[in-house]
Amino acid sequence: MCDLLRVTPGTIMARKRIRVSRRILFTWFMLTGFIFLFTPQNLTNKFQFAFVHIFRWPLSVGRNISLAAHTQQPRTDFVNRRQYNQLLNHLANLEEELRQKHQKLEKLSGLRNRFALEGAGFVIADVITATIDAQRCELIINRGKDDGLDKGQFVLADNSIIGTISDVDSRTAKVKLFTDPTSKIEIKIAELNIERIMQGNGNNSAKPKLIPTDKKVKIGDIVYARKKPGFLDVPRVIGRVAQCKEDDQSPFLWDITVRPVCDIDRLNDVAVVIMNPQKN
Amino acid sequence: MRWFRFAALLVIAAILQAEPVNVIAVINPDIKPDLLVILLVFFAVHSNPSEAIITSFTIGFAADIAVGPLMGPRIISFGLFGTALANLHRVIAIRKMPYQSLAIFIILILTTISANVLTFLRIQPSTPDIYVLFGTALYSALIGPFLFLPCAWWMRIKKHHFGR
Repeated sequence: MCDLLRVTPGTIMARKRIRVSRRILFTWFMLTGFIFLFTPQNLTNKFQFAFVHIFRWPLSVGRNISLAAHTQQPRTDFVNRRQYNQLLNHLANLEEELRQKHQKLEKLSGLRNRFALEGAGFVIADVITATIDAQRCELIINRGKDDGLDKGQFVLADNSIIGTISDVDSRTAKVKLFTDPTSKIEIKIAELNIERIMQGNGNNSAKPKLIPTDKKVKIGDIVYARKKPGFLDVPRVIGRVAQCKEDDQSPFLWDITVRPVCDIDRLNDVAVVIMNPQKN
Repeated sequence: MRWFRFAALLVIAAILQAEPVNVIAVINPDIKPDLLVILLVFFAVHSNPSEAIITSFTIGFAADIAVGPLMGPRIISFGLFGTALANLHRVIAIRKMPYQSLAIFIILILTTISANVLTFLRIQPSTPDIYVLFGTALYSALIGPFLFLPCAWWMRIKKHHFGR
């Protein structure tokens, strides 16, 4: 019945056997598992951070290989150089127009204001690992507390919000994407003047809650992350409405699916928004 | 059991599972082999029962670090089902490749479901994707027995040694 485990301490000359029955061994390990399960996550996360920190190099290489393998597939969603320049010029014109309007408003009101994110700092970070599936949507990046990162800060990629910092170590941090099932983020949908909570749905999508069907929502509408003083001073694009249908359980509510506006799977780097960076 | 070789193999599998295994995803980016479950089954059928308990829990620990949203669920589920498989192997020898495939398929489904249930105790539930779960189980079951050969070579396990 008792198959025994042998442990031989090197310092003891005589081979002394410490006998532990399989049942006790199993109980100890099970207990350890439950201790890990119910220990606060900010403590147990240190194991994951340590793993990423120690094996950062092979993980980065693996991610690059993975990205390279995916980018070899032919892509059809591109614009030619001429269209790209046209869009870029249009953007520059709009920016200048906005600046002019801002100056005029400043002159008329007599109030000194500043552009949103003018004083904000951006910390550029490389993505070490990315996990995007039904249960978990998160990134681990190579910047941490030492670089000024803190919990709750917003993370940008391709000029859109992709999530927030959920956990931070000295040199690495975890980004919880807004599509993660545990993520809740305040949003507003383009021209609708309503603000709601959007909950992640896994698999690269999220669902805004409690939007009545009397509001006009259509596929392609832009969704903005609401401003959050101290973290984000101005609403920023977070996604687009990909699907909009009546909720099966509540016919007076929309069942809306929002998808990110950037390809999170293929991200190499992200920018963390630090609203009031400390100047050294 | 060569514990140093086991540790090296486990670290390599955990690193591969964390990111590079995405390269060989098929149909859906989430359908990829679960190398750690393959290792779990390998050690459950190639070690003696005490070693199987230790390896099962250790592989679960590595799985939680490499892929789990939080620590604990896979330590428990891998430990539980790895130990159960090792005990079952004492009664029904899992020697042939089809049986090994079947063991990987069933163990992957059981460990995933139980790890999800345990995860739900701590964080909010999400809908498990049955299609991805079965796809991953099938993919792992197909390639798992072939990965047993390099694992056996690395661990210096002789052919037809089943530790009973």
